[in-house]
Amino acid sequence: MSKKVFLIFVVICFVVIGILPILFMLAKSVNIDGQFSLFFYKNLMNSGREWILIGNSFTLSLLTALLTTTVGLPLGILFAKTDLPFRKLFALLFTIPLLVPPYITAISWFDLLGRDGLISKILSPAVAEITSKWLFGLPGCVLVLCSTFLPIVILLTITYLKTVNPRLEEAGKLVSGWSGVLKGITIPLIMPGVLLASMLVFLLTLGEIGVPTFLRYDVFPVESFTQFSAFYNFGAATAAAVPLVIITFIILVIERIFLREKTYQLRPAVGGKKSSKIALGDYRKWFFITVTLLCFCSIILPLLVLCLHSLSADAYKEAISRAGHSLFRSILYATIGASALTVLGFFIGYLIHAKIFRFWRAVDSLTIFLFALSGTVIGIGLINLWNRPATNFIYATPVIIILGYLAQYTALTSRITVSTLVQIPPSMEEAAQVSGAKWLRRIFLITAPMAKRGLVAGWLVGYIFCLRDMGVTMLVYPPGHDTFPVRIFTLMANGSTELISALCVIMILTTLLPLGIGGILFKLRGFLK
Amino acid sequence: MSIIKFTNVSKNYNDTPAIQNFSMKIDAGERIVILGPSGCGKTTVLRLLAGFISPDSGEIIIDNQVVAADGKIIKEPENRNLGMVFQDLALWPHLSVKGNLEFGLKAKNIPKNKREEYIPEMLKLMQMEKFIDSKPAELSGGQQQRVALARALILHPKILLMDEPLSSLDQDLNVQLRKEILKLQNKIGFALLYVTHDRDEAFDIGSRIIVMKDGKIEETGPSVMLLNLKKSVKV
Repeated sequence: MSKKVFLIFVVICFVVIGILPILFMLAKSVNIDGQFSLFFYKNLMNSGREWILIGNSFTLSLLTALLTTTVGLPLGILFAKTDLPFRKLFALLFTIPLLVPPYITAISWFDLLGRDGLISKILSPAVAEITSKWLFGLPGCVLVLCSTFLPIVILLTITYLKTVNPRLEEAGKLVSGWSGVLKGITIPLIMPGVLLASMLVFLLTLGEIGVPTFLRYDVFPVESFTQFSAFYNFGAATAAAVPLVIITFIILVIERIFLREKTYQLRPAVGGKKSSKIALGDYRKWFFITVTLLCFCSIILPLLVLCLHSLSADAYKEAISRAGHSLFRSILYATIGASALTVLGFFIGYLIHAKIFRFWRAVDSLTIFLFALSGTVIGIGLINLWNRPATNFIYATPVIIILGYLAQYTALTSRITVSTLVQIPPSMEEAAQVSGAKWLRRIFLITAPMAKRGLVAGWLVGYIFCLRDMGVTMLVYPPGHDTFPVRIFTLMANGSTELISALCVIMILTTLLPLGIGGILFKLRGFLK
Repeated sequence: MSIIKFTNVSKNYNDTPAIQNFSMKIDAGERIVILGPSGCGKTTVLRLLAGFISPDSGEIIIDNQVVAADGKIIKEPENRNLGMVFQDLALWPHLSVKGNLEFGLKAKNIPKNKREEYIPEMLKLMQMEKFIDSKPAELSGGQQQRVALARALILHPKILLMDEPLSSLDQDLNVQLRKEILKLQNKIGFALLYVTHDRDEAFDIGSRIIVMKDGKIEETGPSVMLLNLKKSVKV
């Protein structure tokens, strides 16, 4: 099969999986009984509540994006460019909240700051009353979502710092100290990447429902979910989802116009040109103390409290008996989802990297668009498209969950593929071509084996995101096929806090275990330098 | 009898001309060197011939078959039966020396018993039989060059393309490998199209030299004739 035909087939698959449901949803939202109608939109716009919800969503997203950028940028610089002790360990610890469903972070903060939380026992119930009030609302949501999405800014800052040509900094160093070089050269060079990270945080916060629902802060995406799950008003749910589609689309268009080429430069530093490190000197210990305190207060302490709160054999027994099947299903679906994501992401990444078609940028933009879009919206789109007798084999089976994963997370594996392929000289595939190998043979025997590090990393990232997913799964899971995060979320209504904490600890371990195994394997094979 | 023919071939990159109205012929068994400075279009000629890029206009013929014409690739690189040694050698790091040589044989469905025969034969020719199971990273620069050459020749191509293959080597090894390339070419008899910016290398290897500048042929002729002009040929 020729390269172009195969890749067109891949693009069509992606469009059917990810874009068609959204288009179908848009079309259905203006159609009542076969007639064009804006009834649902009029209802939506006439309700004063919706505007308040949109305002709340924007406030939450903006504050979260600003705070994560303000904290994440210096942390990224500290981890990537300085001699801060244990910087790799810090980077790893700060990444943990991103790996688990955000509401689990909210639960861990609840165990710490809630009315019956640890703070009530250590200090006093009166203090816990104040912290609880503070947690349930905008400040609490900002705190939880900041710790969840902070790794995005940190990791993108680190990645972009690696792309900066060290010679540019060295030229600056001839006339200025590091502070001047960072301010005048390094930070402006990586600013497009930092802005991209802020934008992603903004959009991911905008689409988040788990944390605002748990912390009782009314936001717009919850409206769509409520219309669907509580009232089963599909038209209203669809109409409520459309503004999120439009906002996400507009923000991504702005990103593409202003940061287009710059943000695409996710390129690793050229081999041999190692970025120069900043010696913190006398400030080293102070930076270390500050980062340690921040890490302890925002990551370790809530997780520690969560673990302590779950320390009961009964809680774990009950957790396994009530959610063991869901855990098994989650692992199974995440494994299948990650494998499918790796394959789809590889081919999408390949066509983006090699710019096979003129519309390669559109394909790239669509993957990012779907990643940034609220999981609820994707879920509603998938239901709209596949909920019909002829496609029951998809809608009524776990296939719809896998499709949801593919729709939402292809951007992750395709981007990882692009940054891996960029490190393989084009001559490798060309050499195979002149040796007489057809395209698929070249891909399977030359390109894929050479990109195996990226493929394994992509699989792990895909696995983690599939495992933690709740936005899409919450809406589309067929009866009897709920996943572990969904099960925890539903058990939160009537389960004891010890049980919920135990479930959260199991969830965290399930997520981190393959990452740990993967890390050890990578290290053993000498992949990590 | 021409084995390669370029007729009025032009190629632009983003409106910048790489080669313009380029015409040349190469006979079977001939050794042609394209000599020129960076950006003169010499690698473009090689990539057009290999089929990695298509010409904007003009026609390319290999072995009496039109392989590319007026913006279209008619014959894909894998079907052109060319050998090529890349500037960075492009040895597949995950495959052993044997794996690198075997890849093309497998792609052409050569049976296993024949493969087992051809590979040691070719490695013997290159004096590399000891390294059959080594990975490219375990070899020295010169050994890697020999493996790349062996891989390019294993399918017995009629034409061998070499894109500045010796540019990263030290002078002694460079000179030694030039001699080996010439010996091989004499023995096997393939047509050689060799691209370089090094004048000494060009006059050592080429039976005919094409001097390129700004995408055009500035001078062409047998190397013995151009030898007198050697000092005037500026690259």
